[in-house]
Amino acid sequence: MSLPENHIETILKRKEETPLKIDTLGYFQVMLQNQIIPDSQWKRDIAVQLFQFFITIRNQRALHKEQIIYQLWGDVSQEAGSRNFKAALHNILKVIEPDKPSRSPSQYIIRQGLTYRFNKEAIWIDIDCLDELITFGNQELHQNPSLAATAYQHAAELYQGIYLPNRIYEDWAAEERERIQVLVLGAMMTLAKFKIKENPMESIRLAKRTLSIDATWEDAYRIQMEAYMEEGNRPMAVRAYRQCQQILQKEFEIDPLPETKALFKKISEIE
Amino acid sequence: MSKIEETTSFVIRFTQKMFNDENGEAQVQWRSHIRHIQSGKEQRFSDFSKAIEFIQSQLAELTLQAMEDKPVEEQKGILEKSFNIWKKVALDYPKKMMETIKDPKAQVEQIQNQVSQVGEVISQSLETEINQWRAASKADISQLLKAVNSIAADMNVLKAKVDEIAKDKS
Repeated sequence: MSLPENHIETILKRKEETPLKIDTLGYFQVMLQNQIIPDSQWKRDIAVQLFQFFITIRNQRALHKEQIIYQLWGDVSQEAGSRNFKAALHNILKVIEPDKPSRSPSQYIIRQGLTYRFNKEAIWIDIDCLDELITFGNQELHQNPSLAATAYQHAAELYQGIYLPNRIYEDWAAEERERIQVLVLGAMMTLAKFKIKENPMESIRLAKRTLSIDATWEDAYRIQMEAYMEEGNRPMAVRAYRQCQQILQKEFEIDPLPETKALFKKISEIE
Repeated sequence: MSKIEETTSFVIRFTQKMFNDENGEAQVQWRSHIRHIQSGKEQRFSDFSKAIEFIQSQLAELTLQAMEDKPVEEQKGILEKSFNIWKKVALDYPKKMMETIKDPKAQVEQIQNQVSQVGEVISQSLETEINQWRAASKADISQLLKAVNSIAADMNVLKAKVDEIAKDKS
């Protein structure tokens, strides 16, 4: 295990060392040997679907082929589902392992009998990197807050948008999308709080990003109010409070928390 | 052709806010968000009954779509059954949900207990039945055969009477 100071570097370096890299946040992109795989190489959407499903279940034990078919194509006949699976898997292997001799085992998709799983050790995926950075940030938060802030900052940069945006109507991707979003919201808020004194404009930027994910995240309004006051911009601090008031009323029919009201009172009383 | 089986899913996010009100009393508030995955429709709520309404409306839509080619009377029947299920959910679920939020472990334990109690009752009653005959002697079995034969004879008499009534009616 590397020293805490070097750990972030170790996490980030893994991307350079891995030949197959996958981006899932905000967009879907696969890179093989530093070359982006063009969309045209995925002959059919079922191949992309199966590949993205493998990414989503990467932390589970191997899944039986039938389970995969049921989750992806549960509404077609068993024969059609099996045909889809075979064609999709063939397409995936052609794309990610073009030089693999036929019938030789894949280094990325491990097959045991009729069960399949991703060999996640051999692949770099942005969500795993994000997970590791935030986990490390959480571990270091009390002992070494500036190191934690660096980890959160990298995680926030990695988050380019929701997980697999082309699968927002799919059941199987929903849980992972929600898990990552909540993780990122927490990290961005901790980081924004940490930066209020040192870099208020960065706090404001992070708070605005948080609100673009969830417009009712009250902590983000409070951070904006404090950061604008650090900047000496009282009108914007007041505006942030008014926006908070409006959105909470509209969405939940509730008032801001006493903590937010007290901050507003304090701001209002400053000459 | 309409589908018999449909799957639909919802993601609910709960955010707990704990604070002291103006009187210094500790308060807890739940701000929540629900999303219907297949349609992308979403709603925020702080009152759980709103979430139930939302789920119900999405499921009613799904039910309507699934039975659009069925006769009106059948549609009415299915809808009525669906609403009855939801009436029960709407009445019971918020309470259960809040209990789960307060003490999830206790709720899971309670469900596990209920499941194992039902299992125990079934296995006990089966065991009693089986045990009764496990140590059966030849005399017991002969007694059982006599009882079965007697029931069969009674059944034949009954069947003859039913046939006679049916004959009279026709």
